[in-house]
Formats: sequence, C-alpha cells, structure tokens
Amino acid sequence: MTDRITVEELAELMKKCTGVTVTPEELSREETAFETLGVDSLGLLGIVGELENRYGTPMPTDAERSKTPRQFLDLVNSALMAGA
Amino acid sequence: MSEPRPRRAAVTGVGVIAPNGASTETFWKSTKEGICALDRVTRDGCEHLPLRVAGQVRDFDPSAAIEGNFLVQTDRFTHFAMGAADLALDDAQLHRSGTDGAPFSVGVVTAAGSGGGEFGQRELQQLWSKGRRYVGPYQSIAWFYAASTGQISIRRGFKGPCSVVAADEAGGLDALAHAARAVRRGTDVIVAGATEAPIAPYSMVCQLGYEELSTVDDPARAYRPFTSAACGFVPAEGGAMVVVEAEEAARERGARVRAHLAGHAATFTGASRWEESAEGLAQAVRGALAEADCAPEEIDVVFADALGVPQADRAEARAIADALGAHGTRVPVTAPKTGIGRGYCAAPLMDTAAAVLAMEHGLIPPTPNVFDICHDLDLVTGRARAAEVRTALVLSRGLMGSNSALVLRHGATDASP
Repeated sequence: MTDRITVEELAELMKKCTGVTVTPEELSREETAFETLGVDSLGLLGIVGELENRYGTPMPTDAERSKTPRQFLDLVNSALMAGA
Repeated sequence: MSEPRPRRAAVTGVGVIAPNGASTETFWKSTKEGICALDRVTRDGCEHLPLRVAGQVRDFDPSAAIEGNFLVQTDRFTHFAMGAADLALDDAQLHRSGTDGAPFSVGVVTAAGSGGGEFGQRELQQLWSKGRRYVGPYQSIAWFYAASTGQISIRRGFKGPCSVVAADEAGGLDALAHAARAVRRGTDVIVAGATEAPIAPYSMVCQLGYEELSTVDDPARAYRPFTSAACGFVPAEGGAMVVVEAEEAARERGARVRAHLAGHAATFTGASRWEESAEGLAQAVRGALAEADCAPEEIDVVFADALGVPQADRAEARAIADALGAHGTRVPVTAPKTGIGRGYCAAPLMDTAAAVLAMEHGLIPPTPNVFDICHDLDLVTGRARAAEVRTALVLSRGLMGSNSALVLRHGATDASP
C-alpha cells in the first residue's frame, strides 16, 4: 500500500462502499462530482471510514463533505502526508 | 347540482416476486397449477435451525434487476420491493418519461413486518468481531422497516405522499387501503405493497419463538391449514407491489384497469388469541363489505388467511360463516399460500395479486398439499376451478392480533351499480 491514495484505489473503494462503478480516468477529471456519480453523503462517509481503518489514521472532517473526487483526494492525501 | 363522483382506486399494475416465480407471469402459472414451491431451508447459516421448511425465492437475481449503488445500501427485503415495484410500474405502463414530469403525483406505501434482518446481522457481526469503526453507515437505514418506501421513492424520483404501515401481517392489506385513501384524496398514483426477507439466520431465530410456526421437515406436510393434520405455518420471502391509481387518471392515459380496491376494514383482537380473532375477522369483513357497498352473496371467492393452527383455522371458518351467512359455506375459499408459504406482510399482497389474476382469468387457484378439509368450507383443492369471479375477498391476520379484510372488484366493474 502506498502512502498516497490513488484514483485507482478510490475507484475500488467507491465500488466496495457505495456500489458505484467508475473508471479512474473519470475520477481524475476535475469536473466530476460525487453527486452526478450517484455517491451520497452516507456513501462518502463509508469511504472515509474504510480509509481510516486501512491507514489507521483519522481523516479530516471536511473530507466527507467534499463535492468532487479531486477535492476529496487532495484533502485525504494532505492529511496522510502530514501524518507520515 | 350533483355531487362530484368520488375518485375510485384502481389497480393498474401488479408486480410479484415469489417463491414460485420471480415474475407475475410465472407466479400465476405456478399458482394456478397448484405447484408447491416449499422446500428445505438451504440459506447459509440457517441449516442447523429447527425451522426446516420455507418458501425461498430462488430465481431472482438482485444484481440484474437493481443498480449497484442501491444494492449496497439495502437489504434483501428492499431488493424484492424495488424489483416488484419495477414490475408493477412496467405493467402499468408508467415509465420514467411519464412520471418524471409530475413527481408529486406519485407516492409510495409499503408494509413490512421485520425489516432488513440479514443486513443488520452482518453489520452487528462487524461491530462485535472488529469494532464500531467497521459498521457501515448504511446500517442506519437498511434494516429499518421503512427502508423500502424510501428507496423506491428515491430510485424512481417519486415525491408524492410516502408512508409505511407497521401493523403486523395484516398491515399488508392496510397498506393497500392507505394507498386507496391517498388516491381518493387526490394523489394520482400510489405504488403500494409489501415484501419480506425473513429467511436469514437472525430473522429465523426471531421466528422460533412463535408457537404457530411449523417445524415439520417434510415440505408436503409442513403447512396444511383446515385439515386435522394442521401443524402451524411455514414462512416465506418475497412479496408483491401494485400500482394504485385514480380510475379517471388511469383511463385518461389509456391504462388498463385490472381491478378496483373497493372496501377494507381492520380490527385488533390480541396476540395469538385465535378464538377471539373469529369475531375480529368477521367484523373486518363486515366493514370491508360495507365500504364496498357489497352484499355477502356478491363475493365470488375468499382468499383465506389460513394460518394452519387448528384453533385459528376454526376461528377463520367461523368468521367467514358469521360475516357471509349461508353464503359462507357455499363460496369457494382458497389458500394458494400453502404452496409458497406465509410471507408475513407480503402474504396478503401475494394473495391480492392472485385475486386480481383469478378475476382476469376466471380461474380460482387451488390450495396445494391440502386435502380432507375438517371445516364447513368449500375449499378449492387439487386443481384450479373455473368460475366467473367479479368480486374477491382477501383475509389476513397477524400473529400479534391484527385482522384485515379487503374487497376487490373486477377491473371492468362499472362505477354506478
């Protein structure tokens, strides 16, 4: 496991936690929003919980309020970098 | 000036996912043939329990019928509900292209007895084996008995009046009555029904406390109401959803009116007080007939509750005799649920679906596995009976004491008698 969360890992997490299938390429696009992908707030909360369990570190509370995957990755990765 | 004619509640769509068929067509084919779909319980984690026989839905593939994001956040009972709602809406020719333009004109009503036991058990196992951080957020909604109403509404974009009826097994009929009232009050369409998924380890353990439960391990002998061999009931999963619609709105858009919800009434006589249920059920029948403006002689078939407990069967036979008078011993009575099991709230919904189909086909389906009736009833056994069925009476009682009756009229019935 790397110390940064990649779009590939986020795609896998989204499939597992929210049942939404999305390609890493689609996740990388700046304009892609969770809402249009069909990921609701409970789904995002599930992804945050899964990440916290995997990395053994708390994620910023703003992470679950992210509107886009890009925003989300920036937040959780800066938290992981800070904790490293 | 004449009074405006009251809005009539029509059934324009029927969707069934049952142990004897995962579509309305296969359900009816198996039901009219009297095929017994009861079987030994094979679900993981259930094999060692003393409940041996159940009606299990085997040919429904949730992942083929429901989108991934709705699947992960819902229990099996909601998978059935979403799947059956799709079938009913397709049958009613109500597609998203039509409903998206008027989202507030469509509401949802469901009833459920136990909610999402399988989902809840899985998350609680996570809690105790790994800790609280491993409980998924969808636990907050999936095992709640209201989940199916919410998910159907979200998934199809329905924003009309939504509700959940929690009233024991008979609540299935009460949900239909609630839908009919909503339609009479001005909502164009209500998607109504009940589905259950009680064949999972935790849910099965919950049922073991019911003294009315059959623990007989031979599928052909486990559920035989109205006979001297009656030994309790067999549970089932699955259910049915129907589209209830204002008759005028339905006719305006050219939809087929399959039946009318003509009358309903409910009473309560206490948990497992089967002796008293006779009076309660009779009173519910009288109330339903009165609301439907229907004479006892007009009832062409009775879909019985058929609990399979001698005292309860006796009480039901007495209720039919008391409420329908001499007609009660002549009217054909049937209980197709002996071939699929008793699906709690979903049981009267599957009976309602069968009643609609019986009226359309002029055929009363039989009561599988039941012979040698020990009550003064004309129970249809062996094979289906051809009959002109204009009006059907569906009965339901709950283990906790609810009694309900529903009068259905044939779709071609004129509003002015």
